[in-house]
Amino acid sequence: MISAMYPVAEQVGASRIVKAVAIPHPCGDPSLPAELDAQLRREIVATALKALEAKVETSTVFAPKIAASA
Amino acid sequence: MIRIVHIVNQFFAGIGGEDKADRVVGVIEGAAGAARGLQSQLGEQAQVVATVYFGDNYFHEHKDEAVAAILAELEKRQADAVVAGPAFNAGRYGLACVEICQTVSERLGLRCVTGMEAENPAVGLYRDYHNDKVFLFATTESTTGMIPALKSIAPFVCRLALGEEIGAADAEGYVPRGIRRLTRVDRPAVDRAIDMLLAKVAGEPFKTEVPMEVWDKVAPAPPLADVSGAKLAVICTGGVVPWGNPDGFKTYRNNFWRKYNFAELKTLESGKWEAVHGGYNVAFMNQNPHYGMPLDALRSLEAEGKIGRGKLYPAYYVIPGNQGSPAVMRRVGQEIGAELRKEGVDGVLLVAT
Repeated sequence: MISAMYPVAEQVGASRIVKAVAIPHPCGDPSLPAELDAQLRREIVATALKALEAKVETSTVFAPKIAASA
Repeated sequence: MIRIVHIVNQFFAGIGGEDKADRVVGVIEGAAGAARGLQSQLGEQAQVVATVYFGDNYFHEHKDEAVAAILAELEKRQADAVVAGPAFNAGRYGLACVEICQTVSERLGLRCVTGMEAENPAVGLYRDYHNDKVFLFATTESTTGMIPALKSIAPFVCRLALGEEIGAADAEGYVPRGIRRLTRVDRPAVDRAIDMLLAKVAGEPFKTEVPMEVWDKVAPAPPLADVSGAKLAVICTGGVVPWGNPDGFKTYRNNFWRKYNFAELKTLESGKWEAVHGGYNVAFMNQNPHYGMPLDALRSLEAEGKIGRGKLYPAYYVIPGNQGSPAVMRRVGQEIGAELRKEGVDGVLLVAT
């Protein structure tokens, strides 16, 4: 699950949670130039793919490597 | 005079709607917006000394700063008790109210009261906290129930401020928090238990003294050994749909899902897709649908072999999640899950707002 409200996702027990940028634009950041925005989005989705390969016992938050600026 | 601080979102403070959801925490002297209604119910007994507000998005995206600002304000105002909301069926607002009450009671020792519809997702969080200083009253779904809600909250918050003892949930009318308290009764447990058993056997109604809560607990699925060889699908609760919203999704409380094919597409072009959702500002997603349904990123990962060729399910599933009732969402989840299983999908990315 990719969500900007990741603490809530954690509280309700979602298993694999990827930290997104912001509620109105989870996958990316419109304040960035288009190319960096697309890179950030790619990093978020790639993090989600890694999360699918991770063994988790309980709600686990995965943070994309590129920091969100918003 | 009892000193009350009323905490509301930007809308109920009269600052503005979704376009002002990024507003930082602010303060208005005395009662403003919804707090005026509270003040009129409080009458002479108590005074709303300040109305503290926050933007719905700001609170969730900058929670630490928002909470710190609210705590500082409450200390400055020497509040005796706090009212947050009522939030009715608003998800972000409801969650903020419960989080604020929780933190205020923990850090400042103040008792707090909030209100929202029983189906608001934040009610579950309130129950989970089991906080004996926080009370939640059920309201109507919409703001038409503002006055009745404030009529229950106003006298109650005065009792909280005065340090009065508060009775059990069913006697006082607040939503149960799952806190068990000792009480003295005249008949021994064995007699009461046998009465219940006899009633049960006879098919008559009886009331348990130890109610159990039943919550869904989903064990995490085992990991995929190799994502690049797995069949993947995407679910979007942000509400990205083809331009014109051909299936007529509502901006809230949807009860069905759809899937839209993207097999021939490399990107979701602006102007051909839109976001239907009443819970956040959809302007960004209307401009670039990839914020909610990241097809460009998926294609780029496919080109690099991180997602196997032909392994991305050629359609994405969507239901705008705003104000979805848990019962409906559970059914929708089961329906989509059954279809994904039938299609042989191994892993799912769910993009939520």
